[in-house]
Amino acid sequence: MLYVFKFPDIGEGIHEGKILKWHVKKGQEVMEGDPVVNVETDKVVTDIPIPKDGVIKNTYGKEGEVINVGDALVEMEVEGEEAEEEAEVKAPPKEGREAEGEPASRTEVAKAKTKTKKIEEKGFGVVGQIEEADTDAFLPATGEGMEAQAAVAAEKEPGRKALATPVARKMAMDLGIDINTVRGTGPAGRVMKEDIKKAFDEKQAGPKVARKPGKIEIPAEAEDMVEVEELTQIRKTIINRMVQSKFTAPHATAFEEVEVSRLVELRKEKKEELAEQGVKLSYMPFIIKAVSLALRRHKSLNCKLDMENNRVIYQKFYNIGFATDTPEGLMVPVIKNADRKSIIEIAESIKDLSDRARERKIQLDELKGGTFSITNYGSIAGTYGVPVINYPEVAILGVGRIVQRPVVKGGEIVPGNVLPLSMSFDHRIVDGADAARFIKDLMAMLADPLTMLMM
Amino acid sequence: MLLKTFDPLKGKQLRIMDENGEIVDEKNMPELTDDQVVEAYKYMLYARQVDLKAVAYQRMGRLFTLPPNLGQEAAAFGSAYALDKKKDWMVPAFREMAAWLYWGATAKDLYLYWAGSEDGNVTPDDVNFMPSAVPVASQVPHAAGLGYSIKYKGTDQVVITYFGDGGTSEGDFHEGMNFAGVFKLPVIFFCNNNQYAISVPRRMQSAAKNLADKAIGYGMPGIQVDGNDFFAVYAATKEAAEYARDGNGPVMIEAETYRRGYHTTSDDPTKYRTAEEEAEWEKKDPLIRMKKYLEKKGLWDDDKENDYVKHAKKDISAQFKEVEEYPRTSLEQIFKYMYEEMPDILKKQKVEMEKYLAGKEGR
Ligand SMILES: Cc1ncc(C[n+]2csc(CCOP(=O)(O)OP(=O)(O)O)c2C)c(N)n1
Repeated sequence: MLYVFKFPDIGEGIHEGKILKWHVKKGQEVMEGDPVVNVETDKVVTDIPIPKDGVIKNTYGKEGEVINVGDALVEMEVEGEEAEEEAEVKAPPKEGREAEGEPASRTEVAKAKTKTKKIEEKGFGVVGQIEEADTDAFLPATGEGMEAQAAVAAEKEPGRKALATPVARKMAMDLGIDINTVRGTGPAGRVMKEDIKKAFDEKQAGPKVARKPGKIEIPAEAEDMVEVEELTQIRKTIINRMVQSKFTAPHATAFEEVEVSRLVELRKEKKEELAEQGVKLSYMPFIIKAVSLALRRHKSLNCKLDMENNRVIYQKFYNIGFATDTPEGLMVPVIKNADRKSIIEIAESIKDLSDRARERKIQLDELKGGTFSITNYGSIAGTYGVPVINYPEVAILGVGRIVQRPVVKGGEIVPGNVLPLSMSFDHRIVDGADAARFIKDLMAMLADPLTMLMM
Repeated sequence: MLLKTFDPLKGKQLRIMDENGEIVDEKNMPELTDDQVVEAYKYMLYARQVDLKAVAYQRMGRLFTLPPNLGQEAAAFGSAYALDKKKDWMVPAFREMAAWLYWGATAKDLYLYWAGSEDGNVTPDDVNFMPSAVPVASQVPHAAGLGYSIKYKGTDQVVITYFGDGGTSEGDFHEGMNFAGVFKLPVIFFCNNNQYAISVPRRMQSAAKNLADKAIGYGMPGIQVDGNDFFAVYAATKEAAEYARDGNGPVMIEAETYRRGYHTTSDDPTKYRTAEEEAEWEKKDPLIRMKKYLEKKGLWDDDKENDYVKHAKKDISAQFKEVEEYPRTSLEQIFKYMYEEMPDILKKQKVEMEKYLAGKEGR
């Protein structure tokens, strides 16, 4: 019968080797243990002995060629054991084969053989285990421009733990790559060092934005009419984060209006007082404080969803991020434990953090650890918006511009100050009713800032 | 008294038979019958076949990573042969295959272990040796502990433990040696100085002139022997065993030998040593010189050798076949042996692994 000897994993998880020298020729008789080929792997240069007695029918791979573990190396005729499946073996898939007479690629042969069980080594052959490696084991094959989506999909696949050596894990960690999102090309989908390097290079090169709308070309005649700028690192990060959030968390958004005349008065009153002490008092400290207090009562808006482990993590600390417009783009510094800070302290933090963000002097950890974010576009212009959640947080509050408007109070039309609120939340974990209850509490505090003293 | 005459600080090395199989130190030649010497040679020859076959099987992808023994047979076997395997304890590292085979392991056991089954490490109750210790020198304190128990019980057993030149740099080496020295335990610390710890050469391992010198710091006798000379290894170990059995405490033996093969099958020695050096040491091979000795005495010839090797290979192939038919290691086994009751952390890991494997199969 025909027997196919496949290139075994002869190191600790090697996946390829280079053929240095063939010791046998077609038609040659060999005995078990005879060296058939000399190969070089990451770890060793060694002869590979043949496991059976027989006659060599075919050798695959030329000297100097690189072969993968599991590829057919030698095909031989061995004595004994019936040969009934031979016909099937001899007809490896034809498709994609080039010239007539060209031997099938090793992988094709290997695949065909794998199907013909009869000739498989049985027992626990180490090779047997590894050859089943399917590089698509973790992710569907990705098409052009689909990598980002695939990466997101990989990230979401619960319980997916990449197979990798500690060295590779360490390397990924050092490069700031989440190894579980890397597509492994090694045996059984193992993530190899090269894969990590590739992922890192891709990250450096910036995101391949999902769903490329097609190639963007600049027509020659328009060259003078456009200005081309390279994406900055910050912009690339923003792109990544936005895409990740939108493709991961199903957004729902609630809108509300609060009449904040009391707040407006209070602020006016305190503003001058504080200005003397060098503190600039905007509405943000009030809003941040109110949000942090409301979060204490509504835990589902201050949680994280851990799909990998099928659990929700409710956070008992209230770190509020606030979107800051910087020349480089959007940044979100975080005020830690806002619920325990006074409004003045929050005002000071805002100033300090946003100044440093604009000067690019902010520290990385001051941009991390948020549990809820606020974006105050109203300070420029805008009433309502659909803010994008600062993933993996589960909600974000958009604050619009306070407008003076007639409102009805006690049956009378009076001038009022209306603050528009828009809150997006991750509808997987935050139900609409939860969101509404949260907003209700928040509105109460903003309508009457004294309420905050009671919370 | 060898232990007196061969003071390591004087740089003397015990050698009884030279590279040509000539006896150069008649006075210290151990008392062994011709039959015993032939038996010893056969053991070493058999061990070599098991080793060569192991490497070949590994290269076919039928065994996992393993540490070849080529060139170290005399050190392993000569020392084991000098003890009483019925009552003494052997505490191995991972490169003393000839000693294992003599002590009661079979080729099948060894192959099973390298095929990923812990069953290969299981010994019958009346076989006194410990499982392979891969964490370098971790076995040295174990041997001291065994010695302590023997002393406590007052039996006349001794313990031999093996470690490499690299092992002498480990904290465990210090702790085990020191403890045995302080309590005068019946332990033979047998260092297989095969010149390399993976790629680290002996001279980078220690500034001490000889590794046997280290014995002095622990208050025990030390002796350096030609580790490729079966007779020297045997004689020194024999005397060390008597010394320890008589309640005098531990002994350290440094056997100077050479790992002729790879550190493990995942190693490429050409990266750190020369072909000339390898050729030099090939000439000093323990089996070559022993064969010469036997031939001169008319106890052995090529025909006998070929016959024996053929017979050995057949026997080994049959055992390997059993290994290939042996049930695959179950996932359970990987987790179950360390603790009597599996702790939660392991249970969790096991579940994760099961999930992972199920996922792999499902695809
Ligand atoms: C504590 C520990 N460190 C590192 C290793 C990796 N390692 C395996 S064998 C080896 C070298 C051992 O050298 P030596 O003690 O001279 O014994 P040899 O391998 O030469 O027989 C090393 C560093 C290990 N197994 N355990």
